[in-house]
Amino acid sequence: MDNNVIFSVILVTVRVLLPLLAIIIVYQIFASMRRHTRDNKPLIMLLNKYTKEQIPVLCWENSVGRSRSNDIVINDPTVSRTHIVLLRRDKGWLITDIDSKAGVLVNGKKVSERAKVFIDDEIKIGNTVLVIHQGTDYSKKNLQVKYHKEPIAPFKLLMMITFFHLLMTFGACYSTDITNFQPFIPFGIFTALSWTMFGVSMLIMNRVTFEMESLAIFLSGIGVIMLCRQNIHSCYTQIITCAIGMIAFLILIKFIEDPDRITKWRFVIMGIAVGFLLMNMAFGHLRGGEQNWIQIGGFTIQPSEFVKIAYIFVGASSLDILLTRKNLMEFIIFTAICIGALFFMGDFGTALIFFVTFLMISFMRSGDFKTLILALAAAVFGGTIVLRFKPYVANRFKTWGHALQYAQTGGYQQARVLTYIASGGLFGVGIGNGCLKYVAASESDLVFGLISEEMGFLMAVIIAVSIVALVFYSRAVTTRSRSTFYSISACCTAGLLVFQAGLNIFGATDVLPLTGVTLPFISAGGSSIISCWALLAFLKAADEKTYAAKRRRTKAISKYEEEPDDEDFDEDYDDE
Amino acid sequence: MKTTRRRSLFILLLTLGFIFGLCYFIFQLSLNNGTWVNQPYNGHVNDNGGLSQAGVIYDRNKAVLAQTVNGKRTYNSDKDTRKAMLHVVGDNSINISTAVQSIFRNQLSGYNMIWGLGLPQNLKSSKDITLTLDSKACKAAYEAFDGRKGACVVYNYKTGEVLCSVSCPTYDPDNPPVITDKNAKQYDGVYLDKAISSAYPPGSTFKVITAAAAIKYVPDIFSKTFYCNGKKEISGAKVTCMEHHGNINFKDALAQSCNIAFADITLLVGKDNMAQTANQMGFNQSFDVSGIPTATSNYNVSNADDNELAWSGIGQAKDMANPMQMAVIMGGIANGGTPVMPYMIEDQSPAFLGLFGNNQSGRLGKQILDSDVAAKLNDMLRYDVTSHYGDNMFHGLKVCAKTGTAEVGNGDPDAWMIGYSQDEDCPLAFAVVVEHGGYGYSVAGPIAVAAMDAAKKDMAQ
Repeated sequence: MDNNVIFSVILVTVRVLLPLLAIIIVYQIFASMRRHTRDNKPLIMLLNKYTKEQIPVLCWENSVGRSRSNDIVINDPTVSRTHIVLLRRDKGWLITDIDSKAGVLVNGKKVSERAKVFIDDEIKIGNTVLVIHQGTDYSKKNLQVKYHKEPIAPFKLLMMITFFHLLMTFGACYSTDITNFQPFIPFGIFTALSWTMFGVSMLIMNRVTFEMESLAIFLSGIGVIMLCRQNIHSCYTQIITCAIGMIAFLILIKFIEDPDRITKWRFVIMGIAVGFLLMNMAFGHLRGGEQNWIQIGGFTIQPSEFVKIAYIFVGASSLDILLTRKNLMEFIIFTAICIGALFFMGDFGTALIFFVTFLMISFMRSGDFKTLILALAAAVFGGTIVLRFKPYVANRFKTWGHALQYAQTGGYQQARVLTYIASGGLFGVGIGNGCLKYVAASESDLVFGLISEEMGFLMAVIIAVSIVALVFYSRAVTTRSRSTFYSISACCTAGLLVFQAGLNIFGATDVLPLTGVTLPFISAGGSSIISCWALLAFLKAADEKTYAAKRRRTKAISKYEEEPDDEDFDEDYDDE
Repeated sequence: MKTTRRRSLFILLLTLGFIFGLCYFIFQLSLNNGTWVNQPYNGHVNDNGGLSQAGVIYDRNKAVLAQTVNGKRTYNSDKDTRKAMLHVVGDNSINISTAVQSIFRNQLSGYNMIWGLGLPQNLKSSKDITLTLDSKACKAAYEAFDGRKGACVVYNYKTGEVLCSVSCPTYDPDNPPVITDKNAKQYDGVYLDKAISSAYPPGSTFKVITAAAAIKYVPDIFSKTFYCNGKKEISGAKVTCMEHHGNINFKDALAQSCNIAFADITLLVGKDNMAQTANQMGFNQSFDVSGIPTATSNYNVSNADDNELAWSGIGQAKDMANPMQMAVIMGGIANGGTPVMPYMIEDQSPAFLGLFGNNQSGRLGKQILDSDVAAKLNDMLRYDVTSHYGDNMFHGLKVCAKTGTAEVGNGDPDAWMIGYSQDEDCPLAFAVVVEHGGYGYSVAGPIAVAAMDAAKKDMAQ
């Protein structure tokens, strides 16, 4: 065999290895997240004084009442349907009365707003008296003990990801048209960046876990290396915005550490978001029928991407606030302003994302189908108006499902995406060897096609699946979060990312008649990548372990005790 | 928080929608990937790029029709052969959509769903294709066209092998023309394989179908006499004949192609029986030749009055016939009522098994005629040649045939000739159409003869 053939075999082997490695990486990330969740051990115990029933308190925020939908169900007709909320904060356990008729007595004193409770306190609701005990008092045999495999070490995981990016870069170096080692420059910078992120997280900020960041690094890296054979300039921009996104991620995690602080800041954040949109409407640039860009200095930014963060922020809240202030009005008004502004700018893709996120948040908050139906009716009305007055949107509907027939006109992009996905096969034609890269917006709106063509359809599906997995993850940690603020924001963020990925993937492949949104983490686009990283903070914060390390440390210092080892971190939550 | 978790089912539902969409797309991809790849704008397959590792295309005698040498696609060394084979073989582009290099470009260039077109050139496995066609017969037919437009099909009605399929105008695939406003007329229809993808008014050749219907549905048709004085009024409009045949019987009416007699015969058969017979003989439906679909021949009299019905029986009105279809009808008559379906690609290469179906040789089509009707038509078509055209023109072959001169409205009529040879060792059925050629017998005939002569010579070797 001559050398050329051997080299071709090596290149093809690398192409086949990449998706296989990607499967292992994505599996390890999510398996590790799952293994990190706490066993079903109670945080504290409630003892029903008369029935002697032992009730474990499993969540950080618990609704208590007669209704079966509560976290803690009391079988006593004198107790309200939802009577009180029992919450845990850094300062200890709190109790809030949810407008009950009978009221709440703690050690015989009436309580309405949040009040602190301690071990051995007696809580009287209706005719029932609950006594607070240490969680460890609960007999062990009632626990479902799960035996996990050890989660993968964060260091090893990041090594695997770096190796994956290295293989990708190697393939990119030997593209058909040009063979040089230029792709190693962005690879080097990006790898340095991701290890810096690792260092800052693990060593300076003392985080216990790094999976969420690993996933984002893995996906962003794919986007960066894909770009290096397409447009080296935007490749470097992508790396810089990735760094900004990482900083935003770290700041946001810090900022949302205290769920009660968020409540105070809600209106400020709403104001900033509305200001952003107004600025966009006033100074926006018109690009392809959409006016969703503003220019600051030499940079163009897309404010609607940042408003997404504010939107989740404003939407979610803690359980006692959820139950006492059931009114969604201010959130609905904020939504109307956001979607109205996006309509005005002609950014219908993002407007749709906001709308679906609104549906998710409002349902998570209220569980009310009426709101959903009303909102959907409004959406149908809005959609009709769009089709009536925006001919280019209606044109896209005309070619929907027949992209190949309109390959030279309305279905130009979609037809090429389909053709090049099929041309790529399962393992792709190699980075830099594709033809889709010559089609406009291939690195953003059509990036699913670009990945399918150059890295193979298998890789593109793995990326889609890794985004879907975020929903399953965020649902799995719902009752393990430190507040419903985190669970709602995590579920809705995951839902938003999946919906946005859906619009991107199905729009490009002619399954849906829409285009113009980015594929989270992969698509080129500074504002998009920053917003994705920042949104990831909500998912990261949903895991109670995120804030565990720091607290463990302060406590250890204050009590002059030995630092407990990692695996037992939840043993040392107790409440003095 | 339990409630929060329960409500998050809504988001899960949305996610299931996403997963469903992804599965739907994967399903679409696995179903249509071949079509999606085979697009003229695909940078991976279009131009030389897609054929730079493609396999060889041979004719039945292993003459190379197309091959790739050092990454460059070249065609047969003889210019007339290249031009004659263009519409079957195709060129570097995908302009001729029914050509083998267009339809099977994926397989020729080693495309499959798993590897896509992504393998480096030196790892791609290309496949060769052998055609059933005889490039010498095609060349002879092409030269006989002598610059006129039209199509010629010759196939072996015992085995189904297509020996000659030529469409004019054509061009040299080694040197494709740039079509501009100036030469648009010269190259009008050049990207169409007229043997496969066109349908023409059949003119008098359609009388074969009318005769078949008459034999079946009019019991005493052979004893009837018709009167022709050149024109006749039916339902207030005229039907005309080129000659005054006077009193004429059924057999001579077909041989001398009398329009008046056949107008009367059509009315005797009736609308429903005419439509029934035409449908049974393959009108109003398409069929595949080695996976390449033919244009549909058309016979529709559902809204016709008697005058239009009369014209439809002599191949005018809305009648349209595809040359390949007419050749199959001839093959069907020669075979006693059931045709062997034509095919163009040999099933030699095991890699092609399953792609083109198993052995296509001798694949019978649907019965188009009762065997006694076929036998009587066989006699009548033979009588056409012996009484009218003469055996001389066919150079020793015992041919049964029918000519046609179809009025097309603009310019000279289209000239047709369809038929077959009865010779056991040279069982050929043919259909030739020459656009604006004039009289069928003298114009279309020699082209069929040229192709059959060449094919016969090769078969004898």
